[in-house]
Amino acid sequence: MGQDFEIKINNKLQSVQLLKEDGNILQLNVDGRKYEVDLISFENGIFSILHKNKSYNVELVEGETNKKFVVNTLYKSYDIEIIDAESRYLASRNLSKELTGNNIISSPMPGRIVRIPVVEKQEVVAGQTVVVVSAMKMESEYKSPKKGIIQHIHVKEGDVVTGHQPLVTIE
Amino acid sequence: MIKKILISNRGEIAVRIMRTCREMDIKSVAVFSDADRSSLHVRYAGEAFHIGASPSSESYLAMDKIINAAKKSGADAVHPGYGFLSESAEFAKKVRQAGLIFIGPSSHAISTMGDKIIARQTAIKSGVPVVPGTTSPVISENDVIKVASEIGYPIIIKASAGGGGKGMRLVKNIEELAESLRMAKSEAMAAFGDDSVYVEKYIESPHHIEFQLLADQHGNIIHLCERECSIQRRHQKVVEESPSPIISSKMRDEMGKAAVALAKSVDYEGAGTVEFLVDNKGNYFFLEMNTRLQVEHPITERVIGLDLVKEQIKIASGQKLAHKQEDIRQSGHAIECRVYAEDTENNFMPDAGKIKHITEPLGFGVRTDGYVYEGYEIPIYYDPMISKLIVWGRTRIDAINRMKRALYEYKITGVKTTIPFLERIMNEPDFVKGNYDTHFIQDNIDSLLPKSTDDNQLRQDIATITAFYHYYKRLERIKKISIVEKSHDYWRNYGRRKNSVRI
Repeated sequence: MGQDFEIKINNKLQSVQLLKEDGNILQLNVDGRKYEVDLISFENGIFSILHKNKSYNVELVEGETNKKFVVNTLYKSYDIEIIDAESRYLASRNLSKELTGNNIISSPMPGRIVRIPVVEKQEVVAGQTVVVVSAMKMESEYKSPKKGIIQHIHVKEGDVVTGHQPLVTIE
Repeated sequence: MIKKILISNRGEIAVRIMRTCREMDIKSVAVFSDADRSSLHVRYAGEAFHIGASPSSESYLAMDKIINAAKKSGADAVHPGYGFLSESAEFAKKVRQAGLIFIGPSSHAISTMGDKIIARQTAIKSGVPVVPGTTSPVISENDVIKVASEIGYPIIIKASAGGGGKGMRLVKNIEELAESLRMAKSEAMAAFGDDSVYVEKYIESPHHIEFQLLADQHGNIIHLCERECSIQRRHQKVVEESPSPIISSKMRDEMGKAAVALAKSVDYEGAGTVEFLVDNKGNYFFLEMNTRLQVEHPITERVIGLDLVKEQIKIASGQKLAHKQEDIRQSGHAIECRVYAEDTENNFMPDAGKIKHITEPLGFGVRTDGYVYEGYEIPIYYDPMISKLIVWGRTRIDAINRMKRALYEYKITGVKTTIPFLERIMNEPDFVKGNYDTHFIQDNIDSLLPKSTDDNQLRQDIATITAFYHYYKRLERIKKISIVEKSHDYWRNYGRRKNSVRI
């Protein structure tokens, strides 16, 4: 007992501590705010939470790593990441930046590469289109966030890509 | 009577057509591409034929492959659904040449209505009002002044080669005309290399209203009243309702008669829809005719009480319409919401992916026409529409309240959907009052897309607690496994831990 983690929600870091667990009744401390909730979970990441007799239905979807989640409440979707020793270690070695940093343009969702209007070693300016992805009858242009040189193109025209796959690295 | 139908389509509309086939004791045949092996329409059908690779050009648009499958299956008819080949005059012709029944109008009707200019001329000939203006390019300022004085201001100048708003100018009075014409021409020249422009009357506060038609092979045509489709985003319909909040019974009568007259002029057969633009003074103008079943046909089914696919099949089998115009009446109010796999907070980007969990709304007056199920992966090759949610109520307010309730029950995880966006439309005062036109979404975008900054601490903490609990329980599970396995096989234990969590 006394388990605690740091949790990043929408890029804000919060410390969460489990004070007491009695069946499905939990007492927690979220950044100094005390909660007692009745929490049960179902299959498929569906949770029912009762807090002061108010009922919340919450859905949790696993993200790209096993420490990242998307949590949906009724009207709002949150990006949540568990920060523990491993994440801190990765962050300190700048590895996590390498994975998500803005010098790699990655696909936000699955699609097919329609066009790559740039070549490796080419100089690009901020806002210049570097790759065009088509998904579900809609084409989206991905633009360079900064001035730089195309270091590596990870895909070729016609490729089918999954979500969050690196497309172009800009140095 | 038709005994076996091949449905040359996919997704929700294929499933919807097959449902009616089952009720009529007609066998259904599905076709599918590589990406659609696991699609519900393949599982629902009695038979299924693979017709090619995932891109629609190699499968759902490949006429010969589809006709071959139809012949091989022994089907006697082909239903094209909507989209894909449903408005291809060539496909209709080829199907008929293969000795099969095409469930739809003649190739002549499809091609006449498919060409904007010919359709406009046909409408004028049938006495159906069109948006006043010129059909051929105008040359001089004097020409424009002459046309404008005939049709009245405001007018809109459009580039003949145009699109995307380029070379388009709104002119409110004669003083603005010379300057606007010059600008429109130079913009058109710069954008399209062609400075020819034409003039149209500008419709203020336009409504998009369409009439459903049914026509048999014996010259009987009736209309099934209107659908209000003004809630649109980038010319894509989002919400539709019937009856329209702005149509009087006199207008309904008049517009219905106009739609029937137009259909008669091309000897129309089957189900079809005539679309009109209606201004805020109640003037209506012919826009186009869709020679197929519409996506939003269920709201008409609900208020009229007819299964449109069943009517299509009966007509294609040569039967006479069983209903007279005077029998047709809208009963109560129906609303449809289209649920798309789109990320509304990210500029409505389509979101393909696996459905992790789905709970569809149930209860009195609710219908969903969809095709996704738990574990189904929405392919990237086709339309992002997941389903259509249709509700009915005795009054418009009953229907809106029921739609809100149904959207609340509708849960889909794994992909982002437009459900929260639709809920906000249902809550928007102008929608509730029925006071809206085609600019509704654009005019209310700020309240329809709330800022991403979230100030509700409690809700945020509930989300945090959920993630915390989920992760904590997983760690506990791993610890238990570790204790049990410790004495046995270190490598297996290591591998298992590595797979489930990196520590």
